[in-house]
Amino acid sequence: MKKILNDVYSYVDEMLVGLCAAHPEYYAQTAEGARVIKRSDAPIKGKVGLVTGGGSGHLPVFTGYVGQGLLDAAAIGDVFASPSADQMVEAMRAADGGAGILCIYGNYGGDVMNFSMARDLIEMEDIRTTAVVLADDVASAKAAEAEKRRGVAGLIYAYKVAGAAADAGENLDEVTRLARKAADSVRSIGAALTSCTVPQAGKPTFQIGETEMEMGMGIHGEPGVWRGPMRTADKIAAEMMDTLLADQRLAAGDRASVLINSLGATPPEELYILYRYVKRRLDDLGVKIVMPLVGRYATSMEMAGVSFTFCKLDEELERYLKAPAECAFWKV
Amino acid sequence: MPLTSRELASGFAAIAARMEVSAEELNRLDAEIGDGDLGVTMVRIGRGVGDVLDDLPDDVGMALTKCVQAITKVSGSSYATVVAIALMSAAKACKGRSEVPWSEMSALLAGACQATMERGKAALGDKTVIDALDACRQATAGLDEPAAIVAAMGRAVNEVLERMRPQPCRIGRARIFGDKTVGLDDPGMVAFRCMIEGIAGGK
Repeated sequence: MKKILNDVYSYVDEMLVGLCAAHPEYYAQTAEGARVIKRSDAPIKGKVGLVTGGGSGHLPVFTGYVGQGLLDAAAIGDVFASPSADQMVEAMRAADGGAGILCIYGNYGGDVMNFSMARDLIEMEDIRTTAVVLADDVASAKAAEAEKRRGVAGLIYAYKVAGAAADAGENLDEVTRLARKAADSVRSIGAALTSCTVPQAGKPTFQIGETEMEMGMGIHGEPGVWRGPMRTADKIAAEMMDTLLADQRLAAGDRASVLINSLGATPPEELYILYRYVKRRLDDLGVKIVMPLVGRYATSMEMAGVSFTFCKLDEELERYLKAPAECAFWKV
Repeated sequence: MPLTSRELASGFAAIAARMEVSAEELNRLDAEIGDGDLGVTMVRIGRGVGDVLDDLPDDVGMALTKCVQAITKVSGSSYATVVAIALMSAAKACKGRSEVPWSEMSALLAGACQATMERGKAALGDKTVIDALDACRQATAGLDEPAAIVAAMGRAVNEVLERMRPQPCRIGRARIFGDKTVGLDDPGMVAFRCMIEGIAGGK
């Protein structure tokens, strides 16, 4: 393992200290050493609080999206490990402006169980909560079992839409409805060229040959749908697009945002080669791309690879997607 | 006397004491089909809850909530989460009451069973603590006296352990071991039996 760190056990804690020190205008820890990050101006009285949580190793997800027009607080676990229910409760308290709390998180066993528990705990204090669980990775289960799918980069669309709605003063039910609508409108798929290495494990999560790639791989290295010889950018993009479009039809006149996301090590140059193909295909279909996103939005440590996310828009989603928002990693 | 916050505290104290004694056995059982730390988890739960017992509110629901908070603070292991889920279900049912009739025990166990199935994605027959909770739910139906309830639960858990022993584990880490789990007891069920024995010994 070749990584820049001091101690594998302090990896997450030192990262959080650095993150908050570099961007104090956005982020603050709820207490010294706490693995809970809140907006530096949270809680905001009268505003619905937006909370997320999950394992470290995916920056900007999860902590990175704390900011104006986005999230109020995030609970962070070890690399690829769920934060505890206790940390999630702390994040909800930090976000509580008196108008209820919406929790937005990915469909992973530990996160789901711990958020359920945390919501139960905070509701005993008569703070109302709702939840929207992202399950956008089409490679992780067939459409008939869509509720079993993993949540990946599609999370950021739910964060963005819910954040804008909460900032606009909408109530908890309305913010939840919009977040759910965004969650239902996103589909994602990933492809990996190399593995990531979890610091505490010290070796690559999986082995993959120099000339191989894997389609449909999860952001923790979960197996994909096939592994085979490396292909050209256009062939990779074509298969990823075909899979997404088979799951969610986009036709002439439709509007969609597309996210071409680096899983960590893939450079922007390669992302733009892929975007070029996606743009041409959607132009041919007569689909209007709105606010394309190309870069690192949800990563898997230093994994080389890419994910595509399509978010089909209507007037309402588009309005909230375009509303101003700001964090250290994304400004709209 | 109905279930009060004071009764809860004495029950949890008895359980905590029992966990210190049972830890080694639970670690050994867990090591056969898991990662061997269930005893450690149970001791952490016992000590974590033990720290809040002197200061429980009178509201039984809020007292249980405080115990759940203590559990989520000290352990993030899946079994600790299952215990927390089960207790949280009871906490919700008891919120706002300083006295809960013992006759509600069967309904509280039913709620705990339902909540752990929903949240833990396990079903009856998967050879988990859920089978034990369900057996206790049935065994305590119609009972309204604590000693009789604890005795019935002890018998029910032993019966279900006996019945499930020849089955393979169907969920969690143990599932990976498949047929190797045939003939073995589920460590989570044994931990539950230790809790009941702790209360029985404390009476």
